Amino acid sequence: MAFVKRYLIPRLISYILVIFLGITAVFFIPRFTPSDPVHRTIAQLMSRGTYLDPASMEAMVEDLQELYGLEGSLLQQYGAFWKRTFTGDFGVSFFQFPTPVSELIRTALPWTAGLLLWTTMLSWVFGNIVGALAGYFSRSRWSKALDTLAMVVRPLPYYIFAFALLILFAFVVRWFPIAGGTAIGRLPAFTWTYIWDVLWHAFLPALSLVVLGGAIWFQTMKLIVQNVNAEDFVQYAKLGGVREGRIVSRYIMRNAMLPQITGLALSLGQILSGALITEIVFSYPGVGTLLFNAITSGDYNLIMGITALSILGVTTAILVIDLLYPLFDPRVRFR
Amino acid sequence: MWRANKCMALVVAIALLVPMVGFAQLADLPRSETLIVSILTGRSVPADDFNEWVGWKWRDRGMQNLANEPLWSVDFATGEIINGLAAGDPVYDSNFFHLEIPLRQGVAWADGEPFTADDVVFTVETLMAHEGFNAHNFFLDNVELVYKIDDYTVGFDLKQANSRFHTTFLDRWGCTWIMPKHIFESVDDPVTFKFNPFVGCGAYKLHSYEPAGAWTVWERREDWDKSPTGILYGMPAPKYVVFQHFANEGAEIVSLLTHQVDAADLSSEGLKAALAQGKTIRAYQPGFPWVVNNDPAITGLTFNTAKAPYDSADVRWALLLAIDIVEYVAQAVGATGTLSPVHIPSLGSYPDNFIRPMEAWLEDFTLDLGNGETFKPYDTDRVDGVVDYATSAGYIVSGDIEAAFGLGWYKHAPDAATKLLEKSGFSKNADGEWLLPDGTKWTIEVLGRTDVNHLQSVNALAAVQQWKQFGIDAVYVGSDAFDTLTQNGDFDVSGTWPGYEPWGAGPDLYRTLDYYNSAYVQPVGTLTQGHHSRWTSDAMDTVLEDLRNTDPADAAATIALGIEGLKIAVTEMPGIPTFGYIGNVAWDEYYWTNWPGLENPYMQPYTHWGPMKYFLPSLEATGN
Repeated sequence: MAFVKRYLIPRLISYILVIFLGITAVFFIPRFTPSDPVHRTIAQLMSRGTYLDPASMEAMVEDLQELYGLEGSLLQQYGAFWKRTFTGDFGVSFFQFPTPVSELIRTALPWTAGLLLWTTMLSWVFGNIVGALAGYFSRSRWSKALDTLAMVVRPLPYYIFAFALLILFAFVVRWFPIAGGTAIGRLPAFTWTYIWDVLWHAFLPALSLVVLGGAIWFQTMKLIVQNVNAEDFVQYAKLGGVREGRIVSRYIMRNAMLPQITGLALSLGQILSGALITEIVFSYPGVGTLLFNAITSGDYNLIMGITALSILGVTTAILVIDLLYPLFDPRVRFR
Repeated sequence: MWRANKCMALVVAIALLVPMVGFAQLADLPRSETLIVSILTGRSVPADDFNEWVGWKWRDRGMQNLANEPLWSVDFATGEIINGLAAGDPVYDSNFFHLEIPLRQGVAWADGEPFTADDVVFTVETLMAHEGFNAHNFFLDNVELVYKIDDYTVGFDLKQANSRFHTTFLDRWGCTWIMPKHIFESVDDPVTFKFNPFVGCGAYKLHSYEPAGAWTVWERREDWDKSPTGILYGMPAPKYVVFQHFANEGAEIVSLLTHQVDAADLSSEGLKAALAQGKTIRAYQPGFPWVVNNDPAITGLTFNTAKAPYDSADVRWALLLAIDIVEYVAQAVGATGTLSPVHIPSLGSYPDNFIRPMEAWLEDFTLDLGNGETFKPYDTDRVDGVVDYATSAGYIVSGDIEAAFGLGWYKHAPDAATKLLEKSGFSKNADGEWLLPDGTKWTIEVLGRTDVNHLQSVNALAAVQQWKQFGIDAVYVGSDAFDTLTQNGDFDVSGTWPGYEPWGAGPDLYRTLDYYNSAYVQPVGTLTQGHHSRWTSDAMDTVLEDLRNTDPADAAATIALGIEGLKIAVTEMPGIPTFGYIGNVAWDEYYWTNWPGLENPYMQPYTHWGPMKYFLPSLEATGN
């Protein structure tokens, strides 16, 4: 009962509060920018060749305000927004009118989730295991070599690294495709041909994320392990004749993992906002481009739909980690 | 050792196998019969929605430029208007309250249904009946009645005299398209209807599209001869046409170099890189300046004439004379732009119809510098300056210089600019900086976009450079809210086109000049319906009134009024026209040749414009 009262309830309250404040900020911030979605729609239609008779433009502005739900005071719009949000309805996209925001997200999210879920997990697992071993055996040659490699790779701007992979594997040796999520003309089907095609197109984007992400996890884990390794309790265990494998897995890794688990949770939560640069370099479909276009076109509803999901993802991940922490760290249970 | 060798052999085998198994850019399409072009406007999301009458639906993924046919199309390369679904010009009555449009016979929709006047009548009535269609208000404001005269003639009774009503059906990168009545009439809500699969009157039908919007594939109809394209030009050469999205230009160039895309729109630097590395890649022009320089849009700068000191024509002219156009065009676009001294581009029929006939007037045009001094700003030598710059930069300049670089522009005359400013009460401080008439420092914020490669941005950046050299504290402001700020008048000077884009064909400048109509101007802070300069004049209103009462088919009268309008715009200079819009088109000739380049400009060259469909029958397969 004390756990519920002193640990669970405060975290649930802060969880709900963060979501409320985050989504409220997402509602108001775009509305305080000078960009007006109705004006943007008209300008973009005109810049893309649609001739709008100037004499009819005033009526069109009124129509669009009504269709976009931008009539009424800011407070009225805010109230209507929460009513819709509770039912999972973020309204229609302004620029891609009349497509519902949920439909746009539904189309893009599987690509983002499919790419980022397993690359995040893979880079985390790979980076932490190799980082832990390199930290423990930090004086070995291979550890130093890996550390040097990570020091070279990690500072590389992601765009440059990803583009270098594209040039090398799609242009020089031509093993992988240059752009897209599937071959042209290949329609979604639950067949090996389609699955192979999707994996083949995802390989380079995934490689770029795993290598750079893995290098980051590697370096942080190596440093943490080196610090933990120098702690008295580890030295005591070594002097006490505890097996090396047990020292690494139970004494060092278990302590070193705590900040990494928090980091993983945050990374998984952020997946919902997409990987914009990856999507741009590899012309890969996903939520990142959708959000970028929504911001540049002043598409309030789409911005809100994606960022609300992202807020929900990050806060939920933090809540889950908070709730699981007592399992990983007995000190939290003790408190 | 043996195991290590075995492992290495396996790795090598997989490495060799991967490209053989996996490398197939096209799933089941024969590359030699497929034309692949990049989409200009981005990923088509939502990919399953083809209802192009509502909002923006990525029409250049093959709808407007391939599978759809308008009543008429603009071809800016020849200056001609092509009859598509229409059989000829519209016929207006003498007071422009009524018109009749003859339709082409023998045309069928892609699903085999015949195209008739019923489709046109249904389209207009449907657009008028439902809010949410882009053209809803236009037709509501203009159309009293639309009716079928016979199967191939449509009549319109208009609510107000409108001698340009038919231009809503004239495709200049978009227009009002005709709906297939037999499909839309059974739909509950035509606004939310996705129109999937798309059915048009063009020579191609929808084959497939990626759900995430990266590509759309179109297949040539077996009955292509029942499309206006087939009737006018014959069978389109490619069996399949693919529109592919590239999110970054690097990938687009790599695709060109590896023959995975046949046509692309690049940046200036991208085009140079592609030409330097690709043996089979060519540009619109075979030599320098390479670019498509007959795009019917004039770039430049726009003053906010609702805001002091830009409400003064003397100040606007002073800022123009402070510009060295040779340096300006060199900085902005590497001297590849075609100069124009007036508010339309120097392309197609416009030089002969408007700019040459204005040259005597331009040479006589005189500015009053004050204190009895005058100045004639027009200078045909400025074009030679651009050519000299290009030559000194190592480029070989040949061919028609006037077509490539323009007929003339204005002198770089800082002294005259100084006198004009001093006449308006401006002064310089001890540091040589310009001060406003009230003695405060003059700072000009020049608004551009955050995308600094956009021609609106490069104009703004070049202007900042020129005005700084003249002693004005000019700063570049790049904003994602560019459109809202310019529409609402929240700027000093912007990179907005100084004149609204003309048709690009025919002699009618009403489309451009009407944006200066005083009826459209709104107070600063609200969306203006006219040109963003918010400049108007009684004289221009008179020209517009006369144009409205002139049949656009009366070329002589229309041209004369167009010239009058341009003279007024030059005199008042609400925006500075600099050079025509530049397109950096790259074509790969590995699979397809006979592109409509400058040496054979049989049709406009873009793959995103409507008449792309009309040059496909002229493409020739190489057999690769």
